[in-house]
Parts: sequence; structure tokens; C-alpha cells
Amino acid sequence: MWARPVVLPPADPGSPEIREAALRNRGSLQLRHVDAGSCNGCELEIASIFSPVYDAERFGMRLEASPRHADGLLVTGPVTRNMADPLRKTFEAVPRPRVVVALGDCARNCGVFREAYGVEGAVADVVPVDLEIPGCPPDPQTIITALRGLAGT
Amino acid sequence: MTSDLLVVTAVVGLSASAVGATAPLRIRTHISVALTIAACASGFVMAAEVLHTGDVAVVHTTALLPLSGLSMVLDRFGALFVAVSAVVGICAMLFRLGYHGHGLSSRSASCILPLFVTTLLLVPAASNVTTFLFLWELMAVSSLLLVLADHRRRSEVASAGQWYAVMTQFGAAALLVGLVLLATHAGSQSFAAIAAGSAHLPTWVRDSAFVLAVVGFGSKAGMVPLHVWLPRAHPEAPGPVSALMSAAMVNLGIYGIVRVGDGLLGGGPAWWWLLVMALGALSALFGSLHSATSSDLKRLLAYSTTDNVGLMLLGVGASGLFASTGHRTLALVALVAALLHVVFHAVFKGSLFLSASSLQQATGTTDLDRMGGLLRRMPMTGTIFLAGGLAMAAMPVLCGFVSEWLLLQAMLHGLPSSDPAIAVAMPIGVGALALTGGLTALTIVKAAGIGLLGQPRSNAAAEANEVGPSMRLGAGTLATLCLVFGVAPFLVVPSVVDAARSVSRTRISDPLVGGWQVGLAGVHGALAPGLLALALLIAVTLVAGARRVLQHAPARHTRAWGCGRELQTATMEYTATSFGEPLTRVFEDVLRPAHDLDVSHAAESQYFVEAARFHTSLDDAFERHAYRPASVGLGRWGALARRVPNGSIHRYLAFGLVALIVVLVVAG
Repeated sequence: MWARPVVLPPADPGSPEIREAALRNRGSLQLRHVDAGSCNGCELEIASIFSPVYDAERFGMRLEASPRHADGLLVTGPVTRNMADPLRKTFEAVPRPRVVVALGDCARNCGVFREAYGVEGAVADVVPVDLEIPGCPPDPQTIITALRGLAGT
Repeated sequence: MTSDLLVVTAVVGLSASAVGATAPLRIRTHISVALTIAACASGFVMAAEVLHTGDVAVVHTTALLPLSGLSMVLDRFGALFVAVSAVVGICAMLFRLGYHGHGLSSRSASCILPLFVTTLLLVPAASNVTTFLFLWELMAVSSLLLVLADHRRRSEVASAGQWYAVMTQFGAAALLVGLVLLATHAGSQSFAAIAAGSAHLPTWVRDSAFVLAVVGFGSKAGMVPLHVWLPRAHPEAPGPVSALMSAAMVNLGIYGIVRVGDGLLGGGPAWWWLLVMALGALSALFGSLHSATSSDLKRLLAYSTTDNVGLMLLGVGASGLFASTGHRTLALVALVAALLHVVFHAVFKGSLFLSASSLQQATGTTDLDRMGGLLRRMPMTGTIFLAGGLAMAAMPVLCGFVSEWLLLQAMLHGLPSSDPAIAVAMPIGVGALALTGGLTALTIVKAAGIGLLGQPRSNAAAEANEVGPSMRLGAGTLATLCLVFGVAPFLVVPSVVDAARSVSRTRISDPLVGGWQVGLAGVHGALAPGLLALALLIAVTLVAGARRVLQHAPARHTRAWGCGRELQTATMEYTATSFGEPLTRVFEDVLRPAHDLDVSHAAESQYFVEAARFHTSLDDAFERHAYRPASVGLGRWGALARRVPNGSIHRYLAFGLVALIVVLVVAG
């Protein structure tokens, strides 16, 4: 009768840096989400990973309201000119050590907005990126699998 | 010796006033200020001597006042108030040296300011009805003229002066009737004779004299509902004058209530003191609520004076209630708490008003919403304001904590009493004190957070400069006293206990444990502020040291988080109004804020807003619902009465005839 959380594949251990971050995070990953110019497709998927169906909070992940409380940033969309500076400021505001996750194809390489007049570049052109999650938009399982590697859960 | 000092104080004070009136402008201020400080110093030495030895200062002369003569006796109780006025007077005068503007340098103001300070020093020494009323009126009129010092430049001053004049004269009239009633029935106008004979007076005389005294002295103290002049007069009065009025003059209202209730009448039935407690609780709550929601710095401080006077009245009322039901120890403890609060309130409110006047002089405004960032521009003045504010919020190791703690203890220890009046009154008093404490903390967070921190909200605040050394010295001395008395209350507590015992007729052994502790003998509860300060110091050192030891990486300094905005301006900050808004909403039924939203639409379509203007104001509920209708009614009555003398000579002759007939009938 009630939705039960989907059974997910094991976490993606990822690169050595990610494994190091996972050890540090010890099963708790607090992220501040920054929409740098997304079409809101990725936002829908982010919203759905915290839904009862996927329930990402059981893996220790939460979205934070302030970068001051976060372990890292979750950035979506190509970085538009208006959002480049706020993104840098938000990155500066996260306490170290910190991670940046580029979520979706636009965040990785601007996707269909490549060379558009209002776009400054991909997220990696503005702040250093630690983890990329491909997809347009990535489906919830992909997002959770990637983030679990970061959370160490 | 003390008697000589009393004469010296009066003579030096009056000569300061004379110098202020006659000396040329260049040297006028300095000489009159120096002489006033000398008068205060002499007053302080006299008061300290009286408090220390208990020898009363006595001056009698038949030369100065016709019929009754001038009669002054300063006992320990009065000496406490003289000492407080003297300390506040010295600091305010030091402050006045650097303070300019508000028309204080004019010949009349230089003459009246020393006179005002001198009357503050002499009123507690008056020992017969005529002398008392004479000095009281001199004090009231001189303070009124000082409030009006700046009337030429600003029209609001005249309105504030009117309110103050009406309220203070109303109070004086009540006092006149009350004291004359006592004097006629006691057969003598000397305070000593009234005190000796008051026990045999008819009940209605005692009752009405006490109620009239509460009304008269309460209006001077700023007690609700007679407080309406305070929030008007204080913002308009020159800085040193508002400090003197709030830190020294309102005390004399408390002095009067205790002097008449405990001294002259020797205590009374429980309902007297329940009345005082009820008015005190009302003042405390109403004052703190308004100061928490006010956005004008001096108006806020004026309301907080009402709030603190409420706490003193709560203590005085509790003391009388305990005495009338036979709890003598608690009666003395409550009175000591109230008097201690008088002393400490003078210290912290003096430093608050003086530093607020420094902020006003530097920024040209008292509106908190046009200050901001001043702690960086004026570090010393800002720190003084913070120290006074924290003391007002009753933070430990500052002086306000000690007196409020003692007041709370006195009321809490009354709870087990089986007397129904106490059983009902004390929990309400404790509740009022607790709520007031919370609201005061909110007030000071608002005043310091909006006024001193953040970004400057106006050009004047951005370019404010620290005030001169004499102003910092005047305000800083009082702020230092806040800390000294908070850490070492034993410096003043024994004197206050002596003062309290000299006025109340309940003579019992020392109720307070002396030494480093402030404690209550016979009941549990003790406070050692010195040890508290030491513990705080150790805790701060430990935390700072632990941070240093445990820190992995050096601290990183970045900009404050502002949601990643490009531009961070003062308009995005909290304002004093918005900070108080949730509270205004909670207490909407009491405060009754007036909102006004004007929206003008574009001509083409009403779906497009051209301009929107929002106006909100928080009037005093008593002023709006009691005083305004009363003043309108009086105006109508006056208009009706004006029809009677219509200029007809026949009618006037008829009036004379009718009056003559009435007199003949009545007298015959």
C-alpha cells in the first residue's frame, strides 16, 4: 500500500579522491544545492531522490540551507554569467575540506547550452569539481549511487 | 560636619547657577560645570559620611522660606539617594563639557542645569512639607525648562514640554493635597512630627494620603499609567539632562513613595502595597514591551526606565506586603532589593543615556534605523553602551543581575506563605519579573544589533566619529561602575541595608550575609558575584585555550555569507522595526499598532502597481485611549465654560451678587 524504498545497486566507489572523501564523511553528506542556470530537469530528479521512493536520507544525505553547514556543493546547469560570481562566493563559504558535485550534462560540459551567449562555461571552469554525474537528467538511481560513494554508505 | 557640607552643597550649587547666568559665554560652561561637580562632590562626601556614621545632617533656618522656614534633615535613607544623584551628576557634568547642541550653552540653560542638579541633591534632605514641596517644584520646573532648551529649533520639543508640564504639575498637585492633608491632621508639617503621630490619624486620611503620594510620586517616577511624558520628553531633552532625569530624578519618585508609605505613615494595610505591586508589574510589562518594539533609541531607553521603575515598585510593594503580614526579614530583603535596583539602575541607565547621546551627537539622529555599524566607528562609546545594556538585561557579573536576583529571591521566598494576598501576588510578581527580563534582553539585542553592528544605514552613520574624551569619561565611569558593582556588590550592599533599615520601622538583625556573598539570612539562597566573575574568566580562558590546542588548521577569514549576492547593502539588513515586528504581532491586542498601506495603480490597468507606501506606527495605548479622549473632553468643557463670561457687565455684577449671597448663606 505504501511506497517502499527502491532497492539500489551498491555504491560506486569511484576514484581514490572520492574514496578519501568518503572516509572523511563517514556516512554523512550535507550538500548545498546551487542552481547555476539549470532547466530544472536535474532539480526534479534531486527532489525525487529525497522522495519516499528513493529516500536518499537513509544514506546520510541531506540538502542544507546554508553553505556554512555543508560538506560540499551540488551544482546543476551550465554556469550562466549572472550565477558565476554567486557560485564562487558560495564555494568560498563552504568550510574546508569540501567537495563539488557537478550534476547533469549541462554542469559537466554545458550540454545543449554550449557556447550560448549567456553561459560562462561548465562548472569545472568556475570552481574545482570532484565528482561528475552524467545524464540529461541523470536518473535518481544514478545520482544516489554516485553520491553514496561520496558519503561512504 | 555633615550639616556644614549640606550648606556647602547648596551654596556651591547655587553659585554654579549664578555663574552660569552671569559669566561671559567663553568661560560660562567650564566654570559652572566645575562648580556643579564641586557641589556634587560635596554632596557625595556628605551622603557617604551620613551612610557611614549614621549621623544625620541637620539645617534649619527661618530666613529663606516665609512662614515655615527651611528645614532639612538628611538621614541614611535620603543619603542613599543623594549619593546616587551626586555620582550621576558628576558623570553627566563631565559629559556635558564635550556635549554641544540642544541649546545647552545658552545663558538660561547654563543657569538652570546646575540648579536642577542641586535640587536633585537637596530634595531627599527636605524634612518638612513646605521645604519638600518647594524643592520638588524647583526640581520639576528646572527640568521642564531644560527639556525645553531646544524649543526654538524643533517644534516637537514644545509638544514634549507640554506633556511633561501637565504630568508633572498633576503629580505635584496630588502631592500637595496629600502632604497638606497629612500635615493638617498631624498638627505639624515637620516630617518627624507626622511620622510620630501618623499611627493615630483617621484611616481615610492615611489611605488618601498614601494613594495621593503614589499618584504624585508615580507620575515623577514614570509609573504606568502616568508615564506618558517619559517617552516624549527624553528624546527631546539634551543628553546630560535626559541622563539626569532618568538616572536620578525618577529615583526620587521611589524615594517619595517609600518615605511616605514606610517613613511617614509607618506602613499600612495590605491593599496599599498590592496597589503598588500591581502598578509596578503593569509598568514593568508595559515599559519592557514598548521598549522592545520601539525603534527610536531614546524612546526605547525612556520606556525601559518605566520598566525598571516598575521593578523597583514591585520590590517596594512586596516589602510593604511582607511587612503588613508580619514577614519582617523578607520585607527588609525586598526593600533592599528595590533600593539596590535604584542604585544600579541609575548607574546603567546613566551610562546608556549618556552613550546614546554620544551616538546621537555623532550621527545626528536617535532613529536606530538610521544608525548601524557604529561599534566600528565609535568603539569606546559602543562598548560603554553594550556594558550598560548588558547590565540592564541583568547579565551576570554586571550590576543589574544582583538586584534583580535579590528581588526574585525575596518574592520566591514569599511563596510558601499562607497569607492569601502574598500567595496570589508573589507568583504574579515573579512572572512579571521573568517576562520583563526576557523582553529587556530582546530590547538590548535589538538596540546593540541594529544600532552598533551591521552596515551603516545612513551617510551620517557611515561618517560618524568618536566623541571627545570628556564625554567618554563621563559615560565610561558609569559603565565601569556597572562592572565594579556587579563583581563586588558588597561595596554598596551594606549602605543600602542601612538605608533601608533607617526608613522602615522593622528593626531586625542584618538580613544579608556580607563579605563576598550576597545572601539571605534565615532563608536559603546566596550569590557570590565575585566567584561568578572568576568562574566566567576561567571558563573563557579554558575555551579559548582549548580552541588553540585542538585547532587543526589556522582559522580562515572570509566574507560573511550573504546568499551569494553581488551587492550587500544596508537596505537588506534587519531594521529595528522588523526586529520588533514578531513581538508586535504577538502582543497586537496590547500594543494596537496602526498600519497604513497606500497602493496607487497605473492609469492603464489596476493590475499594475505604480507605487506602494507602507506606514506603521506604534502609539502608546494609554495615550491614545485615555489621555487623548480626556484632553478632547477637557477642551470641550473649556469651550462650554467660555460661554459663561460673555463680556456682559450685567452678568458679571450678577455673578458677584450671587457669590456674595452664597457666602453669606454658607457662612451664616
